[in-house]
Amino acid sequence: MKKVLEGSHAVSEAARLARVQVIAAYPITPQTHIVEALSEYCSNGTLNARFINVESEHSAMAAVIGASSGGVRAFTASSSHGLAYMHELLHWASGARLPIVMAEVNRALGPGWNIWTDQTDSLAQRDTGWIQLYCEDGQDVLDTTLLAFRLAEAVNLPVMVVLDAFYLSHTFEPVDVPDPEQADRFLPPLSPRIRLSTDDPCAINQLVAPTAYMEMRFNIQVAMEEALLRFSQFESEFETIFGRNHGPVEAIQCEDADIILVTTGTVTSTCRQVIAELRSRGEKVGLLKIKMFRPFPTALIGRHLSRSQKVAVVDRNFSFGASGIFAQEIRAALCNQKPHPLVFSYVVGLGGRDITPDTLQEIYDATKTKTTPDQESIWIGLNQEIIETWRN
Amino acid sequence: MKNLSPGEIPLFMPRSNTSTAVNKTGSWRFFHPKYEEKTAPCSAACPAGQDIPRIEMLASWGLLKSAWQKIVLENPFPSVCGRVCFHPCESKCNRSNLDEPIAIHRLERFLGDTAISKGRKPDLNLKATNGKKIAIAGSGPAGLAAAYFMRRLGYSCDVYEAWPEPGGLLRWGIPNYRLPRAILKNEIKHIEDLGVTIQCNTPVTENVLQKLYREYDALFIGCGYGRPISMKIDGGNLAYDGLEFLRNVQQDNTSTLTGTAAIVGGGNTAIDVARSLARLGATPLIVYRRRIQDMPAFAPEVEMAIREGIAIKELVSPIRIQKNRSDDSDSPRYILTLRKMKVSKKAIRGRARVIPDGEKTEIIKVQRIFSAIGAEAQALWQRSAAEETRSVTLSHCQIIENKIPLLFGGDLTAPVKSVTDAIASGKQAAIALDTYFDTNLGAVKERIAACQVGSGPALSMETYLNDVQPNKNAHVVTYDEINIDYFQTESRVNPSFLDAKKSTRSFAEIETTLENHAAKQEARRCFNCGSCNACDYCRFYCPEMAVIVEKAERHINMDYCKGCGVCATECPRNAMALEEEIK
Repeated sequence: MKKVLEGSHAVSEAARLARVQVIAAYPITPQTHIVEALSEYCSNGTLNARFINVESEHSAMAAVIGASSGGVRAFTASSSHGLAYMHELLHWASGARLPIVMAEVNRALGPGWNIWTDQTDSLAQRDTGWIQLYCEDGQDVLDTTLLAFRLAEAVNLPVMVVLDAFYLSHTFEPVDVPDPEQADRFLPPLSPRIRLSTDDPCAINQLVAPTAYMEMRFNIQVAMEEALLRFSQFESEFETIFGRNHGPVEAIQCEDADIILVTTGTVTSTCRQVIAELRSRGEKVGLLKIKMFRPFPTALIGRHLSRSQKVAVVDRNFSFGASGIFAQEIRAALCNQKPHPLVFSYVVGLGGRDITPDTLQEIYDATKTKTTPDQESIWIGLNQEIIETWRN
Repeated sequence: MKNLSPGEIPLFMPRSNTSTAVNKTGSWRFFHPKYEEKTAPCSAACPAGQDIPRIEMLASWGLLKSAWQKIVLENPFPSVCGRVCFHPCESKCNRSNLDEPIAIHRLERFLGDTAISKGRKPDLNLKATNGKKIAIAGSGPAGLAAAYFMRRLGYSCDVYEAWPEPGGLLRWGIPNYRLPRAILKNEIKHIEDLGVTIQCNTPVTENVLQKLYREYDALFIGCGYGRPISMKIDGGNLAYDGLEFLRNVQQDNTSTLTGTAAIVGGGNTAIDVARSLARLGATPLIVYRRRIQDMPAFAPEVEMAIREGIAIKELVSPIRIQKNRSDDSDSPRYILTLRKMKVSKKAIRGRARVIPDGEKTEIIKVQRIFSAIGAEAQALWQRSAAEETRSVTLSHCQIIENKIPLLFGGDLTAPVKSVTDAIASGKQAAIALDTYFDTNLGAVKERIAACQVGSGPALSMETYLNDVQPNKNAHVVTYDEINIDYFQTESRVNPSFLDAKKSTRSFAEIETTLENHAAKQEARRCFNCGSCNACDYCRFYCPEMAVIVEKAERHINMDYCKGCGVCATECPRNAMALEEEIK
């Protein structure tokens, strides 16, 4: 049934449909609406789950790790500093191979204190062993969250569903909310492979010597690679039931494009409009939306970008001392391919600054004009007055 | 994890079904925790040495009989003390650092009154009579307490009382609005029920004393300060004795009064005289040579008097009383001349010193003048050192070897002239006498020291009777030793009071006893400093599950205790200790 939902509540609805059994979370803007709705569902009986109040995000993650180790479906949500505070336990959750699902609302890290969107918080958790899926709109959020449980439980790895602060978390859109029966068809109850129980007492995750640690880590990578395959399999099952499919990446008019813009999150929607406009003027431009960041669909991305001349990566994030983070990943994905397109890295929209059609037009024009990327990253829309004042 | 179902991906994970019990983490230990109860500041401050944290704990659990039983082990007068004690316990209560002290006296009163209303008798495990007879002179709180404790130790006790009813100051000196007579009667009955006899109308004169020497094995003297000190000023004989007035009030031997009545003095007697006068219709005026804050009367009593509208004239000292020769029959009968005083810059022992403010005087005309400037012992008990042979002087009593052992107690020896200190002297005398008969005079001090609560003068009869080391460490728990994370601020409960206007119209009791639920609520506020209340946080937080509860007793399984100290740190009330392990 179509409902007008806030992006945050698209997550809550998916968690309800997934019949999560334990939720532990600590409020933080812009995530709070997600767990607020879920706590109401728990208290009014809509959802038969235990909501554990905790004093911090560190404890929230610890609590869902405990719940998941006990063999139940567990969920949490966080953002920015809250996510950073969970860092140690993010490694634990993946190392312990627990199928936890977390919604993560992209918000800038302070200082300067900033509650608006920026992807650096989730991208800084790149190496924690979590699957990361970036969403474009409300429907994408709901579908991805539901699918995240299926994926997590199939490969025994935790999944982070990522959405932009405010542009997505606080924006109302029509979203098709499936019936519970439909959702149950797609997502059966969890049959846990890890389940601590007093019926069969055991200790898990003890000391592992150098003789076995590498193999454990290799197995996580095996599971990551498996996740890439399973994702597509589950998406086609999802499509059979719900008639929708988002894809780990989505290529729009990339087949004959000379220049391809690469985006993630809500910027993609803006870019769709810009591409259409440019195409109408006869520009050979394409758009590649990346949804899946971990595992990184290297081969798929390589294939979509291989025929273009130039790739312009739009990064709402930054790795200090290097470049936009998606740009790094794309460069790495292409470098062994011959020939491969030139990769231009554009840094935009940090700390919630608007990325307008004009911004994307500027990126396209700059890419078209330049013969080679002469800088590691190009910062778009900087206020030169401020820069010069402080330089002098 | 090798047998994978079709489609399952490998899970290579550390897992063990071997019990972690094989890992005896106790071998890591450098410190070990132990359950060690400590002394609560309230108990150490209570002259009667009551185990207040345990009493409040039992009350909070609704075990009102056990809580009362715990009081009467140390004090036969919970209902009385709950009303008249100046509760030094509350001044030391650690909770006052968080919000307000526990209303210990109100809980004591509640427990005492509940026991009376349910007709409970103390269960005291009396020792069989040992054939020795003790005479007790005076049935005030000291004498009755001495009889109570001595009887429990196996002595037959006969109490001799000069007045027609027992109770001493409790009966004749404290008005009904503070201590209803029925309450006192009930608690005295508990003592008589043990087999103690009280002979009223029998003052211990020189003749009676000789008879007691012949018939008894020891004599306890708790006659108090029965002789008023008179004002040594011109016309001082015209002032009426305050204690005698109170005695008349207590005998219902008074009638309605009018006009202004001056009361000279600043002690509890002065306050009670003034408040009684107000109830009889007079307009009392307390005249005191120092300031209100210097009054020796207990502060709550002064506050109550002020609330009842009693005027206090401070920094004035009477120098003359004259009869008013006026022919006008409506004119007041006396002229009281007062010298104005002022505070000297020099203090004596912390107390402000007052000196005459030049030659300034003031005259007031009053209908009556009462003297309440103190009292002293009767001549018979004003001992001179020469008569004494061997003696031991303790904090609250003195034991003297004479024809028979003589024990002086109550106001004659107590450092603070209070009801509870008098009770403490009776207890101390009982332990001293029992030790004297059991061993000798020389053993008394050491035996008394072994029964101390904390390191103050209060004694535990429970410790004496059990003949063991005190079950609590003498260390007095301080506020910073309380784990305050476990407590939330909560106001102290108050009972209802008669309003000040109504209260001065009769001698009815002003304060009511707490209601059951309010009492339990108040008891729950208690930190139970130093006493284990089975909260179980030590067990919940032990990472090795080494805290074992068996038959409601806790102990530590040393095979697994790794000495992390979490239990002792978490203990909200400092009932645990951490000690370095000597290996």
